[in-house]
Amino acid sequence: MTTNLPFAIPEVRHEGPLKVTGHARYTADHALPGQLHAACLGSGVAHARIVRIDTTAAEQVPGVRAVLTAADIGDVRYGRQLRDMPVLASDRVRFMGQRVAAVAADTRQAAEEAVRLIDVEYEELPTLLDPRLATTPDAPVLHPEAEAYRLVQGARHAPAHPNIQGELVVGAGAEELAAAFGRADHVFEHTFRTPRQHQGYIEPHAAIVWFDDDVCHVISTNKAPFGLRQQMAAATGHPVDKIVVYNKFIGGDFGGKGFSLDEYVCFYLARETGRPVRSIMSYLEDLSSTAPRHATELTLRTGVTRDGTFVAHSAEVLFDGGAYGAAKANAHLVPHGGVDTMSAYSVPATHHRLTAVYTNAAPGGHMRAPGDVQAIFAGESHVDMIASELGIDPVELRRKNLAGGKTEGQDPSETAAVIDQVLLRAADGIDWSGVRSPGRGVGVALYRRKGGTGRGGVVMRALSPDRIQVITGAADQGGGTVTMIARVAAATMGIPERQVEVVQQPTAEALFDSGAGASRVTRVLGEATRLAATELSRLIAEPGAVFPVEVAQEVVAPADEDCGAYGALAVEVEVDEETGQIRVVEAVLAADTGTVISPLAHRGQLEGGFVYGLGGALMEELPVEGGQIMCGTLGDYKLPTSPDVPPLRIVSVAGESGTGPYGAKAVGEFGNLGVAPAIANAVARASGVRLQQLPLSAEAVHARLRQTGPESAPPREPGG
Amino acid sequence: MRPFRYHRPGTVAEAAQLIADLGEDGAILAGGTSLMTLARLGLAEPQHVVGLAGVPELCGIEGNSGDGITLGAMATLRQVETIPPVRRLAPGLAEAAHQVATVRIRNQATVGGTLVHADPSQDLPPMLMVYDAVARLTGPTRTREVPVAELFVDFFETVVDPDEILTSVHLPPASLGVIAGYLKFLPRTQDDYATISVAAGLTVVDGCIDTARIAVAGGGSTPQRCREAESALVGGGTDVAGLAAAADLVPEALDPVSDARGSGDYKREMARISTRRLLQRLVSESAT
Repeated sequence: MTTNLPFAIPEVRHEGPLKVTGHARYTADHALPGQLHAACLGSGVAHARIVRIDTTAAEQVPGVRAVLTAADIGDVRYGRQLRDMPVLASDRVRFMGQRVAAVAADTRQAAEEAVRLIDVEYEELPTLLDPRLATTPDAPVLHPEAEAYRLVQGARHAPAHPNIQGELVVGAGAEELAAAFGRADHVFEHTFRTPRQHQGYIEPHAAIVWFDDDVCHVISTNKAPFGLRQQMAAATGHPVDKIVVYNKFIGGDFGGKGFSLDEYVCFYLARETGRPVRSIMSYLEDLSSTAPRHATELTLRTGVTRDGTFVAHSAEVLFDGGAYGAAKANAHLVPHGGVDTMSAYSVPATHHRLTAVYTNAAPGGHMRAPGDVQAIFAGESHVDMIASELGIDPVELRRKNLAGGKTEGQDPSETAAVIDQVLLRAADGIDWSGVRSPGRGVGVALYRRKGGTGRGGVVMRALSPDRIQVITGAADQGGGTVTMIARVAAATMGIPERQVEVVQQPTAEALFDSGAGASRVTRVLGEATRLAATELSRLIAEPGAVFPVEVAQEVVAPADEDCGAYGALAVEVEVDEETGQIRVVEAVLAADTGTVISPLAHRGQLEGGFVYGLGGALMEELPVEGGQIMCGTLGDYKLPTSPDVPPLRIVSVAGESGTGPYGAKAVGEFGNLGVAPAIANAVARASGVRLQQLPLSAEAVHARLRQTGPESAPPREPGG
Repeated sequence: MRPFRYHRPGTVAEAAQLIADLGEDGAILAGGTSLMTLARLGLAEPQHVVGLAGVPELCGIEGNSGDGITLGAMATLRQVETIPPVRRLAPGLAEAAHQVATVRIRNQATVGGTLVHADPSQDLPPMLMVYDAVARLTGPTRTREVPVAELFVDFFETVVDPDEILTSVHLPPASLGVIAGYLKFLPRTQDDYATISVAAGLTVVDGCIDTARIAVAGGGSTPQRCREAESALVGGGTDVAGLAAAADLVPEALDPVSDARGSGDYKREMARISTRRLLQRLVSESAT
């Protein structure tokens, strides 16, 4: 079945013409008759008891139709899993920017004017800003009522301390781990830190909510419409089958569009006024009060034998969860990828403890490979630091420890051979052993990214033998979902792609879909399409088939599905020893990403992922002072643009088949993963400066170079 | 953003009358790259906005070696970057304009706006100081000229009175002979504001520095001339040690704020290094 597939032909985006001609309607482009405009008052303090809210003046503003506080709607809590986030703060605020009151008015200006006139009296409370202090005896308890919090699905395991949001402990038991470390000749321990970072989507969060009798309609930027429907039902008590979510085009996501805020506010404003209510966040609100990547501290410990074999590994990963756990999508309430500190290697005993704690900052959320980014920066820096200490070449140390690579007396597995190829192709591509001028050095990072998991389905309908529809509830955040589905359908049925129409339908029409997250869309919806198309082909070929013929197909990719893609990123950098400025001269990304369905989208994901990683590595940080995010626009929160991107070469390595349709693998959260550690490793080899904290800023390099002084320049790590 | 009433005068006189009448309720809109950003953040809330786009006498760039160069207040930074008289006679200014943000912003931002906004990190002001540029201000009763080096008072504050309009900037002919250059230190992205940037201009006669100008953006509450470093250069040779010694005097003239683009100490140090590198570049250009 995998031969003669037409996937090598570069795709034409089905939705492309709509987008480039401006006809694609994003959430904020929708305007309903009689619609009102929402604006919210955010808290100006990080932690306080609300003494009094006076909305009298706001209610007098001409055009204002409703002013709501928790006194009007009650203490309504929502979340993707943990329902701890109030729609409007009731008795206390826990981060700066948390919504306290909401206004609906005839114009946005009137709503904003009314918000300015709302007077809130706060009694400030001690703040908890350092996650390392969250469980100390003196730490203020942020959620005294935490025991009453509910998950959207299922019961919540009560944490050991009320300031703990979530915890995940996996791996070997204490005795086994201690025994494994006992077999090591050396034990290395290093601590790494990563900052809060923003997803950087361009379209701000937006929502429109209206009621039609008792049916609540929602147009939203949320990328998981079915999830939003369920979360809104759980929070508001409105029946889930009376909520309809429409999400067609989303202007960038990168993890930030899985969590919704204003849909809830609009729900209550629309119910109060009987009118449609639209909310469009300002980018200031998006930067300061949505759900950025968790700031993280990771302490890694690895036991190594004299010859460089890893025998034991443990990681303590502490996530700054911010004021609410609501933005996390899993029941453990930690970014799962934190376990991937050493996922490309074979280590006989490993142990990971992931903890997310409450602090008085914006809630931590998901961002392109949540947890993995932090874990791989730490893990791959750690491996290079071990190599440096042992005097072993970093590529050789990695080759010695590849996953599946060293069962005693046996040949390495096919997996190990693939990883080895991935690593070597990246190293060769950057000319690993080449002689370099002073100030230049190369670095590499190797990693595994697991495939997408989740549930989703499509309905396929043959209107005639040459007219096929695929109905999906998936939102398209720019990744090319619609085109991917059409290509899989056409290839499976052996028909031209133009005979396939992909129809995006709201939650009331389409089959359930977990949403465009966790790299699952190609794995789940692509495979559902393949299975449905196979069945549809069979049915329409039957003699006497009566059109339309319809097939519904659901696919579940289990959370423990053993499928991953391996990547190795090698970079050459130049470090300016006077300024500390890091310039990435060149990069090579080698990857075994399976069958490629849409070549342009695949390349776009890998290249775009690299650029995304470049920003995360070198410049991106949401600076926080006293709980306030000190960044109001994308003029301050800088993202790389074309002139900042070095030449990147992509090398495809034929590896094991993926679990997606025709052996496809996930690539959406892949290209960014190796960038920060590869650059950090290259900087160490170029200049002797080892940075264990992101972003890798020029000033940080400069400070370290100056610390050691020009006379006692630090030794460059071997092989630079 | 709060709504405002938009006025569109056709002459400088009309515009001056309008802003005099509106007083503190009015704001002048040139390219809008600063005012509209501030308004969207709620940091500027004018009730009246006087747009200058329809005032022909504020537009255009003229120049020749005999008269110097005159930049209309509404000339865009893209024009400064690309127009032949500037590129030929004041290439340092074209270079500084080229370093501003992105082409989209340069097509919109104006010479007058970049001066009156008085953000101390803007690229054009230090280079205009190097070219001894003079701003022309028109008020209801008088017109006056103020050297760009004396225009700035504090963060976002100039000597321009509320009822005055900056109409043009003049680069005198005597200034056009310098070898000038701009070094913008950008450790993050190419379209960022500078962590620090240095503009410098030299004339070299018989291997000896005859005149020198050094001005720094991002080094404090205003762009600054570094006169001590200039004096240290004049009369000296073009050897690296002399240039470095002059550059060493630059940090003392600065008082940069610490922010996401760097700490105050780092910016000072980068000003020193950038100055030395820029002077070395200019000396080598003077030799060719």
